[in-house]
Amino acid sequence: MPSQTNAASKNTISRLLTGYRALEGIPDELMGPDGQIRPVWAGLIAALDEMSPTELTQRITRGEQYLRDAGVFYRRYGPQDSSERDWPLSAMPVLIDEEEWATISTGLTQRAELLEQVVADLYGNNALVANGHIPPSLVADNPEWLRPLVGIKPRSGHFLHFVAFDIGRGPQGQWWVLGDRTQAPSGAGFALENRIATSRIYSDIFTGSNVHRLAGFFRAFRDTLLGLRAEDESRIGILTPGPMNDTYYEHAYIARYLGLMLLEGEDLTVRDGRLMVRTVAGLRPISVLWRRLDAAWADPLELDEHSRLGTPGLLGAVRDGTITMVNSLGSGILETRAFLAFLPRISEALTGRSLAIPNVATWWCGQEAERNYVKANAARMTIGNAFATRLLFDHDDMATPKNSVASMVHGNMDEFIDRGAGHLVAQEVVTLSTTPAFKGDALEARPMSLRVFLARTESGWQVMPGGFARIGPAGNSSSLAMQSGGSAADVWIVSKKPVRTETMLELPSAPFVRQQQAVLPSRAADNLFWMGRYVERAENTIRMLRAFHLRLVETGSAETLLLKQVSEYLASIGADPAKGLPIGVVQTLSSATAAASHARDRFSLDGWLALDDLSKTVSKMEKTATPGDDMARAMSVLLRKLSGFSGLVHENMYRSMGWRFLSIGRSLERASSLVSLLAVFTDSDAVDGSLDLAVEVADSTMTHRQRYAVATNRSTIIDLLALDPLNPRSVIYQLNQISDHMAYLPGVEEHSQLSPLQSLILQTRTNLAVKLPETVDTETLNILGAEIAQLSNLLTAGYLR
Amino acid sequence: MLYDISLRVAYAYDNPAESSRHIVRLSPADLPGEQRQVAGTLDVEPKPAEWRVHTDFFGNRNVELAYFDAHKKIKFSVQSRVERFEINRKLDAAPKLHQLISEIATIKSLAPWAPHHFVGPTSRVPIDRATTQYARDLIKDSFSVLDAVAAIGESLHSDFQYDPEATTVETPMLDAFHGRRGVCQDFSHIMIACLRGMGIPAGYVSGFLRTTPPPGKKRLEGADAMHAWVRVWCGSQIGWVEYDPTNATRAGPDHVIISRGRDYADVAPIKGVLRSHGKHTSTQKVDVIPVKQ
Repeated sequence: MPSQTNAASKNTISRLLTGYRALEGIPDELMGPDGQIRPVWAGLIAALDEMSPTELTQRITRGEQYLRDAGVFYRRYGPQDSSERDWPLSAMPVLIDEEEWATISTGLTQRAELLEQVVADLYGNNALVANGHIPPSLVADNPEWLRPLVGIKPRSGHFLHFVAFDIGRGPQGQWWVLGDRTQAPSGAGFALENRIATSRIYSDIFTGSNVHRLAGFFRAFRDTLLGLRAEDESRIGILTPGPMNDTYYEHAYIARYLGLMLLEGEDLTVRDGRLMVRTVAGLRPISVLWRRLDAAWADPLELDEHSRLGTPGLLGAVRDGTITMVNSLGSGILETRAFLAFLPRISEALTGRSLAIPNVATWWCGQEAERNYVKANAARMTIGNAFATRLLFDHDDMATPKNSVASMVHGNMDEFIDRGAGHLVAQEVVTLSTTPAFKGDALEARPMSLRVFLARTESGWQVMPGGFARIGPAGNSSSLAMQSGGSAADVWIVSKKPVRTETMLELPSAPFVRQQQAVLPSRAADNLFWMGRYVERAENTIRMLRAFHLRLVETGSAETLLLKQVSEYLASIGADPAKGLPIGVVQTLSSATAAASHARDRFSLDGWLALDDLSKTVSKMEKTATPGDDMARAMSVLLRKLSGFSGLVHENMYRSMGWRFLSIGRSLERASSLVSLLAVFTDSDAVDGSLDLAVEVADSTMTHRQRYAVATNRSTIIDLLALDPLNPRSVIYQLNQISDHMAYLPGVEEHSQLSPLQSLILQTRTNLAVKLPETVDTETLNILGAEIAQLSNLLTAGYLR
Repeated sequence: MLYDISLRVAYAYDNPAESSRHIVRLSPADLPGEQRQVAGTLDVEPKPAEWRVHTDFFGNRNVELAYFDAHKKIKFSVQSRVERFEINRKLDAAPKLHQLISEIATIKSLAPWAPHHFVGPTSRVPIDRATTQYARDLIKDSFSVLDAVAAIGESLHSDFQYDPEATTVETPMLDAFHGRRGVCQDFSHIMIACLRGMGIPAGYVSGFLRTTPPPGKKRLEGADAMHAWVRVWCGSQIGWVEYDPTNATRAGPDHVIISRGRDYADVAPIKGVLRSHGKHTSTQKVDVIPVKQ
């Protein structure tokens, strides 16, 4: 029976809290057992009370708007596919008193230190197994115990540098550890985004609320990572599995926030036992890698051979002690659910102290006594895979007496437990405390757990003052996973005194030095190059499609000579105009988006949103647009959106090496498409109207009218679209652009010998520049087209592999 | 026995590999008391850019090679003189199955020899009801571990056909089991699954087989290529015993060991990761010739 413990006992009845009910026997973060609001919440609730529902809604909208504008998303996996989802922010933060937090911090620091000792033993002497503290089969059968790492001491001297714990408050008000995250804990970046969004909502309230800031924690961790490097000038990388990972957004975000390189396995290679980044300037050593990739995938040569995400030979670098992995490969074994059954005793044995914050009671079914206990008490336990690394309530690999015994357990429970034995673990059913979350403009109590992050710094473990609260659906404490529809909230650690405001920026203690341009990984350059090409390719195709459909409206038939020629041309570039919007255009734009998604850390947010918008619009049009007027208009809409995107990129993007590759891609594609346009539409066999169409597709009709007093003829078209160095829609202009960019590429020095790429661009440019319109025939254009294709090949071979 | 071993393996790629990295386990092992490498060489063509050696968890010597320039083929050749010792062990002390299982529980070690590594499922050897049931039908309570090994090995030898066309190195163990045919790799994986299903620790051995049999004996299957067989843990007293299910015989002086692990994935003779696309073909030629003393 839920007991009505609302705030009615206060003098002012809070509108927000009229329906607020805590569940009987379950502690609530907001209200004490006496129905009074806990002191730490008083300020926030009072401030909320003064707001009208309209104001509250506006504020929450502001927070959500921030998240949308920032492009925060996570990837959600469905049975068939996966898709990007908006971040499900719960606008009500979870407030915890500073003193209580200090106790939590001490307890979790003790646990982090214990885990370091355990993992060092598991990859070292195995004394815990020898002394009977861990059953050998729990290690030997464990997929996270990586044999190639046994006996290797980490370069930094430590296995663990960044860990997280999921904790929850139990029925008596005490905190429990629900799970250990030591492989590649996610959520720290989302915690930051939650903080930014929540502080937008409560901007005025937040400032005066004495909430501990998060930046200091990240700065200390970054400085620690910098201190672990082998050489001062080298960069630190974040190793990500790539855009298909559920938390890729966070990897890109943290990379930007901390100024780290975002790397995929493909970006790395090993040379003589040193890990190197493939960059446009050649191989560059790297000695610290913050790993967000599960260890098993890290090296297909010595670990999971099916991995396409890893770097062959990486383990050689680890063995040679040239790379620090944060955390060490193999430390994921600590996440094994069954270990929770042994950690309390291990703590006693190794440190002589019990765990300050106990973990959820756990029994491993590989031992007879424990198995019997579980059989006798199965009704109040959840039973699941002993080697799983997820929280027991996170996923569907479990049997609970309440929900799924019938489907999971064939026969009776005892047999199920006996058969599973060492592969099963049982945990006491977890009940979690509740915390307020908005339902409309009132609050309701929802179960929650916290993810708390700890970073090893030079002065020991530091706890992030805050974290990431997972909020479950009302009345259900067994499903908190984001994947299954929960939400996330900011965590405020509230002090009684004002707190220091911190930022990531360093204090101006030394004269300002402009940082050197960061090295650009080849894969990022490749993606930017292709993004430039694809966007330009889409634009050229769309212009041609518009010209086709405009003429179709005029003539009413696609059977004219000119339209047949255009139609054939479009078909040859994969965009047959017969049925509305060709799939080719949709594919080109989705290739552009895919390329951009791999380079998201180097790409402005507005640019990304514009591209995303373009992709969505074009997918809609593919279904609806009909030939003729409708298509012509649709193409005009796309062209406007494309020029918006190009404007963002080319007006606003920093002139980094990445921008150069993007621009080279665009110029190469434009030059190449102009050449093929001219080869067909200025050929002696071209039908009437071809020249006007060419000048229209090249967006140069106005210029032509101004520059030449005559009607279009072959010479004026060739002059304007191939030879005029002042027309951005001419081949020579684009070749000049490419040549200018190349002067900035790595390895290009004045007076040094020309690379094959440099000599080819010089030759191609010169050959074209000295031509007269009459001497540019179709044959010349075909040769020019081949040379431009070769430029792309040489660029790829020289920089993008 | 003293052998001269020569092995040639060639890989050819349809499209050149831009770069590649390999782990190679082709040379006979040096195993005190069991086998001694008198002299040996490994030659690789073209010359690799990197050549590194390390010892893996199970004590095998891994040669790691890397190429950073495009290549269309690689040739490996091994020349080796090896002495294989005859081991005479008192095998009548083999424990009964239930004794073995309680003995495993008392061993608190994760050393490479420890039985715990070899009882659970591994990447190439799942433990399946079908293989476990197959084994259970052959074994009686009174059996010692060695009786069980012989019963399973002989049964596999008669129920399964040696057929190099039926499977490839990638064929899953269960497919070979249900198809009732395969080569040494399949026989070994199936036998390992049967043994582990009964709780008996079992591992995988890769190596060579004497090419021509001693006078008066039958030529063994698998002698024209690299070979594989099984090792079984028979309790602390006896330790590990090797058995060749392809030929239903205890592995002995005719078997020369290269490497040992839990299944093929731990000991694959050549494992490579290429930056390339397309297919490759490979050829293999082995000679294991006794040296007259």
